Amino acid sequence: MAEIVMAYSASHAPMMTADPGSAPREQADSFFGALEKVRDRARELDVQAIVMMTGEHFTNFFLDGLPQIAIGLDDAHLGPPEVWLQVPKKMVPSDPGLAAHITASLIEQDVQPALSYGMKIDHGFMTVYYWLDNSMDLPMVPIVLNCTTPPLMTIRQFHEFGRKLGNAIRSYEGLERVALVAGGGLSHFVGEPRVGDIDEEFDHWFLDILAKGDLTDIIDIPNDELMEAGNGTGEIRAWVALAGAMNDAPGEVLSYVPVYEWINGMGVVLYKGDREATAAAV
Amino acid sequence: MTLYMVQRCLFDHLRRLEAAGDGPKPDIVVEGYDLTPEEEKALLEPDIGAIYAMGTHPVIVNGFCRALGYKRADYRPLLENAGVVPERKKTRWQK
Repeated sequence: MAEIVMAYSASHAPMMTADPGSAPREQADSFFGALEKVRDRARELDVQAIVMMTGEHFTNFFLDGLPQIAIGLDDAHLGPPEVWLQVPKKMVPSDPGLAAHITASLIEQDVQPALSYGMKIDHGFMTVYYWLDNSMDLPMVPIVLNCTTPPLMTIRQFHEFGRKLGNAIRSYEGLERVALVAGGGLSHFVGEPRVGDIDEEFDHWFLDILAKGDLTDIIDIPNDELMEAGNGTGEIRAWVALAGAMNDAPGEVLSYVPVYEWINGMGVVLYKGDREATAAAV
Repeated sequence: MTLYMVQRCLFDHLRRLEAAGDGPKPDIVVEGYDLTPEEEKALLEPDIGAIYAMGTHPVIVNGFCRALGYKRADYRPLLENAGVVPERKKTRWQK
């Protein structure tokens, strides 16, 4: 059976690869230093594949057919479509056996994701993934989530989805070492008059919740209230799902910096893998 | 005619820009969409404030602004002057 050997959530501002030097040096060092730590950990653990969740940006779907959750089922997925992202275009390999198993297992657990062939993996994936493996050879199963177009799945529903996603990964027999990754958030505003604002108070509050491993204060938050922290902040759904998959274990906040040049609260939270978490609990 | 058509036009334009890659950028195409003269004008100028004020999804507004070459929040003044100011509400994380 597969083990989730590590899991992490990270912000995915396009500027982090499109123009990384635009951030203040100390902030960039903090954020990229955290991603390097995560990358080193993945190498140390010899991760065989990752499953990555991020928000849909109208890259794959539009208003004529927008799933709440969709799983890419191909052997490989083309990324990134954004020519300005400063990440080379490549067919990123997947693990179609794992993708198919996750999909079937979720359906058995009463979650009905959309099936997607030909999924493109945009900045939501590629910014974070490129820092994990700049050869882009590490297989990635992509999952896109609707985080911006109401009516949305609730935070509680995404938490439950994450728990079931964790079950699905752990019941896969084709691999031994899988990493789970969430991209998106933290607070940011796009395409509206507050674009450029960052709600630092929200970011600290949310990161404290993850660090404690107690989601009580956010699990039933209405979307309208969450949107007060930014109309892009709903992408924390991926972080909440990841917390659910890791059984609400306390996360380690490796970095938080409000990078106004990137119009985004930038954070990285790392979770212990299954075996390490079990050993720590004994 | 409908907000959907405005958004469809912008979405299709953004996909054409992606397909063009590093080559010449195609102009936005408004023919074939059921648009009012005001909507067509806003798309062709382009008038970012008007496009936002119509109710266009902010992710599409953001993508269009990026395609026009705006970086960071440089287009914020265009939106602030659009006359649609979201109401701020008290939240549970505010001290």
